[in-house]
Amino acid sequence: MSAALGPRTVVQAIEDAASSTKTGYRFIEEAPQGGGEAEPFFTHGGIERASARYGGALQALGARRGDRVALILPDNADFVFAFLGALRAGLVPVPIYPPTGLGKLAGYLDNTLHIVARSGARLLLTTTEIKRMLGTIQARVPELAKVVAVEGVRSMREELRPAKVTLDDVCFLQFTSGSTSRPKGVVLTHGNLAANVRAIMERGLGIRDGVDSGASWLPLYHDMGLIGFVIAPLYHLNTITFLPPLLFLKRPARWLETISRHRASISFGPNFAYALCVKRIKDSEVAGLDLSSWRVAGCGAEPIRAENLRAFADKFAPAGFDQRAFVSCYGMAESTLAISFSKLGSGVTTDVVDGAALWSTGRAVPLAEGAEGPDGLDRATAIVQCGGAFEDHDIQVFAPEDEASERPLGDREVGELRLRGPSLMSGYFNEPELTRSAFAGGWLKTGDLGYLADGKVHICGRSKEVIIVNGRNYYPQDLEWEAGKVDGVRKGNVIAFGTMKPNHDRERVIICFETNLLGEPERAAQKGEVRRVVQQALGLTVDDVLPLGVGVLPKTSSGKLQRARLRELYETGALLDRTSARDVDPIAVARELAKSQVGYFRHAILGGGQKKDD
Amino acid sequence: MTVPEKTWTRETVRSHLHALLGEHTQATGAAIADTSHLVGDLGVDSLGVMEIVAAVEDSFKLTIPDDALREVETVADVAVAIESRLEREGRLAR
Repeated sequence: MSAALGPRTVVQAIEDAASSTKTGYRFIEEAPQGGGEAEPFFTHGGIERASARYGGALQALGARRGDRVALILPDNADFVFAFLGALRAGLVPVPIYPPTGLGKLAGYLDNTLHIVARSGARLLLTTTEIKRMLGTIQARVPELAKVVAVEGVRSMREELRPAKVTLDDVCFLQFTSGSTSRPKGVVLTHGNLAANVRAIMERGLGIRDGVDSGASWLPLYHDMGLIGFVIAPLYHLNTITFLPPLLFLKRPARWLETISRHRASISFGPNFAYALCVKRIKDSEVAGLDLSSWRVAGCGAEPIRAENLRAFADKFAPAGFDQRAFVSCYGMAESTLAISFSKLGSGVTTDVVDGAALWSTGRAVPLAEGAEGPDGLDRATAIVQCGGAFEDHDIQVFAPEDEASERPLGDREVGELRLRGPSLMSGYFNEPELTRSAFAGGWLKTGDLGYLADGKVHICGRSKEVIIVNGRNYYPQDLEWEAGKVDGVRKGNVIAFGTMKPNHDRERVIICFETNLLGEPERAAQKGEVRRVVQQALGLTVDDVLPLGVGVLPKTSSGKLQRARLRELYETGALLDRTSARDVDPIAVARELAKSQVGYFRHAILGGGQKKDD
Repeated sequence: MTVPEKTWTRETVRSHLHALLGEHTQATGAAIADTSHLVGDLGVDSLGVMEIVAAVEDSFKLTIPDDALREVETVADVAVAIESRLEREGRLAR
């Protein structure tokens, strides 16, 4: 058993796996119309040999021990061989996502340039086509010595000079898919990976060495695909079938067909992937599936909606899907990958609490499902339970302002989730300032708001105000910046936020801005323009755009925009009644007061009478 | 000898593509022009684009590989991607 071997580096795991002739990785390639499906299979021994060739090639190209090597490789097999080869050559790979097209090339180039420069990469390995798109990147990043096309590397036969790698050595840099202005490189050591892989595979999944097999369409430049399905299975000899991510987005049925055909027992996806299957897979396609082998259906990387997963279970139960296979996962790149998993075999569990009390008092008060508040509205909020801390790891909740993490909050008290343990990053690469501010008294600040109930993690929001749509993170600042470019929009007076109201089914993107224009047609044109620029720049569909009069957006006394406050005003509908907060209009105030008085008198005098008449 | 199941012309490719876009976007016929940006003008998000690509592949019986998508921005770009594949397979009339 591999557990008896103790913690191993990823390099050691590649070498140990090489003797396996039955298990390995299969790479599905999209076939041209009418052509048969190509799915080359490499045993773990074959992977060891291919990675040696890629690693040897990188050394022959001049990469030296400790050098960062940026990888922009859309082909899964290329990526796996180059990534693992780099590790064996003692290099530090820096995975970067490939361009997706759709007119976002300028933003893509900026982002890529930033990551390449920040990581200090000496070599960039990509395809001939992307190399052409990157153009003059080399001239703009002085440290980047070479941009190499992978097509040539595939046929190179240079011998690998294996590097001696220890658990304390840096394994790779995971740049967080964050604000386009400033992605940060999370530094992960081999020791971090060994610890997190052990937690995921042994405690989280109850993995059976050489028996469990997986299927994954997840992008390999993202931690869930890379660590969960490339690195972890090397330690436990699991066969994995990889699909190109774009093939899944184009034809979601292909994911489930792959699980069905290869009898996969483990597969993961973000919430949106399960929702996409419900929306796009036809009943006629469900009929041909057999999902009875799928024992762990992991869900993570974005907020989990119990109702989306329930709809998935309903739709695919006839194909043998067991809803108890769902495992709700909480994780982040700064903690290697996983922080906690819900208990195996129990499906999605929710904690039903008083939604109103949650935000007003900061306590998660249990409530019966469907309970009504005094206003007759449903106030029960179901929060998905994501399990407890892994062995050797700690999760505690602190008040966000508790900068030394001195007083952990009690059971069911809402605060910031903070972490300790061997999976935590040592810091952000070459960012001492950001690294310092990521920790509080030795605990990593996740930026997520939540509570513990019986030691189990419940997440109810994000203090970082990130907007997550279809598994991608968007920073409000980026949306606000783009919207601010539109004529007549008051720069610095734009607020973007995400809201789950009114249907709780997905995050809606709202942009509010102040404008001097008063005419309806002019404002309508502005709204259209704001949608257009945001879509063009970020590829994001904005659900609602609200032009507001000058002075309406809530700001702090120092003039900082208050996003959370605006979201609240928007959700309660109070925003539409708001004319000006800062430049107080006495007439409007009087009118508001009068309205509330009318309401008061009607209520007090007529009592409940109105209801009977209705 | 193989007979192409259907021979397209540049005109029928465009009109068929416009009809598909009408079904898969909020945009109405008149708003769809060759110069329309899928994302900016037709209100399609990145998942929506992939849905449209699947519909295009099914109805024209061809495959648009991922790398061909990287530089697609407008309706005309999609039409060109379709036409170049039809042409290669001898299914596009001059």
